[in-house]
Order: sequence, then C-alpha cells, then structure tokens
Amino acid sequence: MPETTRPHDADHHRGTRALRLGIAGPVGTGKSSVIALLCRELRDTYRLGVITNDIYTDEDARFLRSEGVLAPERIRAVETGACPHTAIRDDVTANLLAVEDLEHDFDPLDVVLVESGGDNLTATFSPALVDAQIFVLDVAGGGDVARKGGPGIGRADLLVVNKTDLAPYVGVDVERMRADALAAREGRPVIALSRTDRASVDALTAWLGGVVAAFRSGAHSPVDPGPMAPHFHADGTVHSHA
Amino acid sequence: MPLRHTAASFNASGSPDLVLALLADARLPVGGHTQSAGVEPAMAQGLTSAEVPAFVAGRLRTVVAVEAGTAVVARHHVLAGADLRPVRLAWAARTPSGPLRTASENLGRGYLRLAGRLWPHPVWATFERTPPRPLVLGAIAAIAGLDAARLVRLCGHEDVATVSAAVLKLDPLDPLVTTGWVLAAHPLVEELVTRCASLTDPGEIPATSAPLVEQLSVQHSHAKQRLFHA
Repeated sequence: MPETTRPHDADHHRGTRALRLGIAGPVGTGKSSVIALLCRELRDTYRLGVITNDIYTDEDARFLRSEGVLAPERIRAVETGACPHTAIRDDVTANLLAVEDLEHDFDPLDVVLVESGGDNLTATFSPALVDAQIFVLDVAGGGDVARKGGPGIGRADLLVVNKTDLAPYVGVDVERMRADALAAREGRPVIALSRTDRASVDALTAWLGGVVAAFRSGAHSPVDPGPMAPHFHADGTVHSHA
Repeated sequence: MPLRHTAASFNASGSPDLVLALLADARLPVGGHTQSAGVEPAMAQGLTSAEVPAFVAGRLRTVVAVEAGTAVVARHHVLAGADLRPVRLAWAARTPSGPLRTASENLGRGYLRLAGRLWPHPVWATFERTPPRPLVLGAIAAIAGLDAARLVRLCGHEDVATVSAAVLKLDPLDPLVTTGWVLAAHPLVEELVTRCASLTDPGEIPATSAPLVEQLSVQHSHAKQRLFHA
C-alpha cells in the first residue's frame, strides 16, 4: 500500500509513530525559540525531530541548528512556495512527507515538532498533519491580541503567551492578557512563558508530557481549531465562515 | 514491483473531462505549491518576466516532453499489466539532474497518497515508496479513465500553470498576464499531444533534457534563500 497516513485512526498510530506537534503563530512571536526551548529541555527525555517551514526556506532550521539543541540532521526545512498557510492546512503533502521521512530515518522518534512559517492569526494546522498544536503569541504584539480571538488563539491545544519578561517594557499586563486568553479559550490551557521564568518552562514541558502520555495511550484525539469562529456583527447577526 | 492484473480490472466510469479538471486544479493537495517548475532558479540567474513565455515553450519541447512521454508509456504499461521498471529507468536516464529527480519523486509520493485514497486499486501496492510523478500520473490515468491525449494535456498544462503561478511570487506582475501565458501555450501543448500521445515503448520516450534547466536545478538546491523546492 502507499503510505497513506491516517492521523485520525488511533489504532493506526498507537505506539507506531511519533506524536506530531505543530507550532503556529504570527511572525516574530518566538515559535523557533519555543522549539529550541522544548528541545533543550526534553532532548534527554524524548527522541525528537523538527520540521521548519520558512518563507525563505531554511532560516529557522539554521537558527535551530546553530542553537545546538539537536543533532543538525534531525532538523529539516520544507519549502512552502511562499504559501505557509497552505502548507499546514490546505495541502499538507510536503510537510507530511518530510515528517514521514524524519520518522523513517530516525525510527523510532517520540515527538516531531512542525514549525509553521510565520503567518497571521487565522493559520492553524490541519489534523491531517499534526496530532496537537501550540499557538504562540507574545506580549510585544500587544495586550489586546489574545482578546481578539481566532481559531488558533481560541482552540489550539495550548496557547503560549511568550516573552513575558518583556511585559514591563512594552506596557502589557501579563495577568490581564492571560485572563483574556483564558476567556477566549473557554478554559483551554494558557501558559505565560519566559525562558527566564523556570516555573513557566516547567509548565510547558509538563503540558507536553501530558499530551505524549495521552497520545501513547490512544486517549488523545486531534482537535481541529478549524475556520474562523462564529461571531457577532454590529447589526446583531451571528454567523460562521465554515 | 510488477503486479500483473488484467485490463478488465479497469472499469473507470464518469467523465474524463472532469477527471482532467480535478487533476489540473492547482488546489489538488499533492504539494504542487512547493514547486516552480524551474522558473525560480532561472529568474535567480537573470531570466526576466518578459522571457518567461519563451522559457515555457522551451520546457514544453524538452523536459515536459520527457514527463508527458513517460506518463503516457506508464499508462500503457499499467493497462497492459506490464512491469513499470523499464519506464522508470527510461525516465531516470532522461532526467540527469538529481534535484529534479528528487522533486519529481516528492510529487510522485504526493500523487500516490492522493491516488490510493481516491482510486483504490491493487496497482498502488506495486509502487515503490518514491515513484516519479509521471509514473503515478500514468497509472492514475489508466485507473481513472483518462486517455493518453488528455494525460499529455494535463502534463503540459500543469507545467505552464506552475511556472506562471510561481512567477507571481517572484516578480510583481498582473495575474491576468501570467494566465494569458497559459492560454498562449495551448498550441504548444497540442503539439506535445501529437508528439507523445501514441507512445507505448520506454525507448520511444523523447530524450530531450534541457542542460540549462538541469544545471540551474542543481545550483538551486544549494541556494540559501528560495521560495520553491525546485
């Protein structure tokens, strides 16, 4: 049979392949540094691989390799033809093949991290590509971004509000931003993260540990953040773009 | 690799025009958006937008003839229950650039994923992990009921459309201009149909590589900054 990957089929992947974790979010919010952090913290716990999607190819892959957090050959870049959104959602082929190759070449892997090329607030991963996803915002992007919502902010498996150490310099109230995010996410997890805040780093690795355990037990189901959420208009109508 | 099956196992129903439209749709999820059909490396070496129609014509007479010829012969072999290995070897011998072979194999995997799901058939089990794209296209044509002429049109159109769409990401240009290129190439695509549609033997596949396209593809694979895979 051809390699038709069926991420929805729990029996198909249980124990047979790595957890595929997507990292999405706007440009400059720190997706690469979150991945570097995860690799640095977890490389002795899990067998890891990384796929990056850059607008101009391998900038992010080179950053990660230069960080020395993982063997360089375990970090691969995929071209997206200037369509980072397409590559994680509408046509995941190139990324899926890269993930399969990485799993094949370094079998067995525990977790493959897939970094989206920085896009806008509406870009989320298809469940055909990843089992779970993190959406990354940062305090420097503005305290009101979390409140604005969107599929990634609202329904990604985890929302990271990054660079909290910068909050005093950009006039953002981290607790307020976190509360906005929790409200937008109806209680789904939010981590206010800083590389210099040990407790937040521990919270991030603990979250991933929980997802890996659920994945391995077959209890984890991919959730598609989906298209834009139903929303209100000033004239009182409610509709969705599904 | 060869799994013999009888021609009777092909009972495609439906409209070949609709199958052609489905396969020619740029939104087909097979990874096509990662490719520029050689135009990004060419523009990086100085090709201008104004020269792209000539570039397209050159491809249709060379590398696309290899692609289309391979696809047609592969289709014939699948319908006849014959071994595809000689077709693959003929394609590889006519595609000297390693990066171009890899690009075709990546696309072939994408099409194989799609085909196995959309047109379930025992022939897919006979394919290797990374078949070149024209082999898979030929097999899809055999199974989905696409005749050889339409298969050549698909290969020709797909190449021109890929170049045209990629140019829009590389150079500021009105999309109506690039779509005009696709239409203007139709006579050349029909020439390709005349040249390739009746081929059945791997030895007949046009041996028309394009040395500059091949060389630029190798340079591109070492480029530090690129939008497209090849």
